[in-house]
Amino acid sequence: MKKVVMGNHAVSYGVRASEAKVISAYPITPQTHVVELLSELVANGEIDAKFIKVESEHSAMAACVGASAAGSRAFTATSSQGLLLMTEMLHWAVGARLPIVLTNVNRAIGPPWSIWTDQNDSLSMRDVGWIQIYCESNQETQDAIPQAFKIAEEVQLPVMLVLDAFFLSHTYEIVDLLDVEKVREFLPPYNPELKIDPADPHSFGNLASADYYMELRYMIEEAMDEARGIIKRVGREFGEHFGRHYGMVVPYRCDDADVILVTSGTVASTTRAVIDEMRDEGIKIGALKIRVLRPFPFKEVSEVLCSAKKVAVLDRNISFGNHGIFYQEVKSALYGKTDIPILGYILGLGGRDVTPKVIREVADKAIKDKNPEPYINWIGVKK
Amino acid sequence: MSKQTKFESYREMPIRAMTVDNMLWNETGSWRNVKPVYDNKVSPCIYGCPAGENIQHYIQLVIDRKYKEAWETIIETNPMPAVTGRVCSHPCMDKCTRGDYDETVNINAIERALGDMGLDNPEWMTKPEKSKKEKIAVVGSGPAGLTSAFYLARTGYSVTLYEAGETLGGVLRWGIPEYRLPDSVLDRVVEFILSSGKIKVEAGTTVGKDIEFKKLRNNFDAVFLGVGLMKSRQLGIPNEDCKGVEPGLDYLRKVNSGQVSSSSDKAVVIGGGNTAMDVARSALRKGSDVTVVYRRTRTEMPAIASEIEEAEKEGIKFRFLASPKDIVTDGDKLSKVIFQEMELGEPDETGRRSPVPLEGKTFTMDVDRLFTAIGEKGDLDGFKSEVDTEWELIKVKGEFGETGKKKIFAGGDIVTGAASVVEAVAAGRRAAEKIDRVFNNEKDPPIEQEIDFGIENINTDYFPKSKRVLKPRIPASEAIKGFEEIFKGFDEQMLQKEADRCFSCGVCNYCDNCWIYCPDASIIRKDDEYEIDFDFCKGCLVCVEECPRSALSIEEEGK
Ligand SMILES: Cc1cc2nc3c(=O)[nH]c(=O)nc-3n(C[C@H](O)[C@H](O)[C@H](O)COP(=O)(O)OP(=O)(O)OC[C@H]3O[C@@H](n4cnc5c(N)ncnc54)[C@H](O)[C@@H]3O)c2cc1C
Ligand code: SF4
Ligand code: SF4
Ligand code: SF4
Repeated sequence: MKKVVMGNHAVSYGVRASEAKVISAYPITPQTHVVELLSELVANGEIDAKFIKVESEHSAMAACVGASAAGSRAFTATSSQGLLLMTEMLHWAVGARLPIVLTNVNRAIGPPWSIWTDQNDSLSMRDVGWIQIYCESNQETQDAIPQAFKIAEEVQLPVMLVLDAFFLSHTYEIVDLLDVEKVREFLPPYNPELKIDPADPHSFGNLASADYYMELRYMIEEAMDEARGIIKRVGREFGEHFGRHYGMVVPYRCDDADVILVTSGTVASTTRAVIDEMRDEGIKIGALKIRVLRPFPFKEVSEVLCSAKKVAVLDRNISFGNHGIFYQEVKSALYGKTDIPILGYILGLGGRDVTPKVIREVADKAIKDKNPEPYINWIGVKK
Repeated sequence: MSKQTKFESYREMPIRAMTVDNMLWNETGSWRNVKPVYDNKVSPCIYGCPAGENIQHYIQLVIDRKYKEAWETIIETNPMPAVTGRVCSHPCMDKCTRGDYDETVNINAIERALGDMGLDNPEWMTKPEKSKKEKIAVVGSGPAGLTSAFYLARTGYSVTLYEAGETLGGVLRWGIPEYRLPDSVLDRVVEFILSSGKIKVEAGTTVGKDIEFKKLRNNFDAVFLGVGLMKSRQLGIPNEDCKGVEPGLDYLRKVNSGQVSSSSDKAVVIGGGNTAMDVARSALRKGSDVTVVYRRTRTEMPAIASEIEEAEKEGIKFRFLASPKDIVTDGDKLSKVIFQEMELGEPDETGRRSPVPLEGKTFTMDVDRLFTAIGEKGDLDGFKSEVDTEWELIKVKGEFGETGKKKIFAGGDIVTGAASVVEAVAAGRRAAEKIDRVFNNEKDPPIEQEIDFGIENINTDYFPKSKRVLKPRIPASEAIKGFEEIFKGFDEQMLQKEADRCFSCGVCNYCDNCWIYCPDASIIRKDDEYEIDFDFCKGCLVCVEECPRSALSIEEEGK
């Protein structure tokens, strides 16, 4: 069934379709609608789940940890400061190998206070061990949820889905809403072998000496690696069920491109419009959207980019003292594979609009720029 | 965990940190590796009391103003707290933990207060429920005899109490003077004991003389001998039997039965024990100028320390390291005593340094009267052949006064040699209980091992320092004017104040601290106990730390 829904509600419908059993969340702008709708859906019986009200995001994730450890499919959503407050429990979910799904609405971090988008909140959780998927449209936002549960439950790692504040969260688009029955065929109910069971009590998350800590970490990395294949397979299977296919990356007109712009999130759609416009002008340019940041798709990224003569990475985030984070990731993916210039551009922080005009400016600059110098290219900063 | 978990490869490991074995043995999981347990100890004072009075317990009952229960608690082990509360040397207080903090609890004064309350409330005494067929003879009515008669009668046995003297009490009656233990108190104690069950008194009957010992053996199912030490030891020097030389015990007998009139002469008492002190202080009260001569030093004096102090306060003079060598008479009457000066030699096998004469060093004193108080010995003439004896004492075989002869038990000074009232009480009770067990064919209880408990087990932060409350007294200058009892009893306020100083060592007094402090609210408070909910206790041991008195202990989990 197609419906015009806002990005946040697309998330809620994705959760409904995935039949999450425990939802625990704390409201925060711009995520609030996600849980608002979920609470209504639980209240009116459309979702057979336990909705747990909590006093903070830390508790929201703690509740999910408990629920997931007990074998329930658990979901939460948050944003920015809320995500930061969850940090300790985010680590816990990974260490405890719990397949929780979290949707984070990207919002800039204060101070200065801001409720608008950039990616620094989710990217500051890059190294925690969550699988991270960046969404571009309301449709993708919804579709990502059942896929995320399927991936998470297979590899026993939590998955964080990310969408831009306002540009996606508050924007209405036509979404083909998922049908619960059909999703059940794609995503069977969660029934893990290892879970808290009062009849067979075990102690979880207990002390592990140096004799075994590394082995447990090794297994997380092994699962992360395994997830690469699983994410692709699940994306394919989803396509078989629902006609919409998903992969690790999305190349656009890259085959013969001299310059490829690397993007993520909503900027990807805008970029594609600019690519079309420039192609019309005869410029051989393409775009690569990175959908999955963790595990990082080294192979897919290098395969696409190695054929270009120049790569420009558009980062809606900044790692102070280094560069844009996608830029660093892309550089590391190409290391030793090619010696084409890789240029990085920082733009759109704190919700500053990344319009086609801005992207065109970056594209033109990228075509001219020779080296990855200056150290960081800031786009649109009033100097 | 019964054994350590070992993995050769990460592939054998579960993906998450978890116990491989299930945790049914400890439902809080692997966090708690130690746990608190409520574990009342035996307070040190209790070990200190030879009679094993449950001191900690009755003091707590006093605090709750449950005086009757407190009294009943004492009576379980000592039927004469009004006596011991006056004359006991209170070794319990030497053990009192509070002594290592400020001043020991005045247990003796609390005991006396309760003892006196018992005398004032004769209805507190209950009669035995059952009467038993066995008949027991008790010989001697000193503290040992009276105590055994009490517990035997209370258990339902028929007791016949033989006493050589006309009145009951033994040393308590004719030895210890009025100013320490008034007759009026002793009378009521004796009356109370006699009312505890079926006790027939045969006073003025010396066993072995007025009635044959064999008869007792034949007519009774058991015999308890608590005959004490009746004979004074002799100095063994010339002219010892002249006029003016008298055994201290004989003198005390006369004083205690009102047969001594005042005289202002010069008296010397030989000895350093309780008898010497009582003789000296009695003679002082009768007008004499008194010097105590002891062959060792003050440190070695066997008398109760406070008695020595009192004697000094009252004006008794002491001459240490001297021993009578010769008596000079004037006609048949004593006139001078020649003393040999002594010094302390090497310690003997008991660790005590024995006095040795200093060659050629003597001195002479003009003396009107000389009292000997160098020790007492048993008078076993009547039954020497009936029991094993050694050094004129009865030899016992076990812990409970068994003489090894069928039916015959013994206790008190006649077994231990000159000891104390409370030891005689203890012996009397132990023998009574043993006799009961013999009749019932029961096994002896195990002897309890004293546990280590000291000030380090007390969380002293909870106890402000305080001074011991002392028994009120008449000043020494007044006391020497007559035989009025020197020390008075506590009033209720004093009793409460002093009882409140007790730490309740090692025994829970329901202060609620553990319950209040438990950060996980894992302690369940019941009417008269606490329980730990081990489904929640994480083993932090805050409760153990915060118990002011170590009534909680630590146990390792999974052991
Ligand atoms: C002067 C003096 C002062 C003391 N002061 C203290 C003190 O302050 N504190 C303390 O703890 N201890 C004190 N003691 C020691 C204490 O009194 C004794 O250890 C205690 O009385 C011993 O008790 P008992 O029952 O074994 O013997 P006793 O008290 O000696 O009683 C023995 C009884 O047996 C009777 N008897 C003996 N032979 C026979 C027989 N053949 N037939 C019938 N009856 C017989 C005697 O007449 C006597 O009444 C003192 C002792 C003396 C002598
Ligand atoms: S403080 Fe109380 S319980 Fe502790 S030894 Fe002294 S009298 Fe006994
Ligand atoms: S304080 Fe509470 S939680 Fe801690 S050990 Fe004691 S009972 Fe257990
Ligand atoms: S803390 Fe208080 S209530 Fe708890 S065990 Fe100790 S004495 Fe008893």
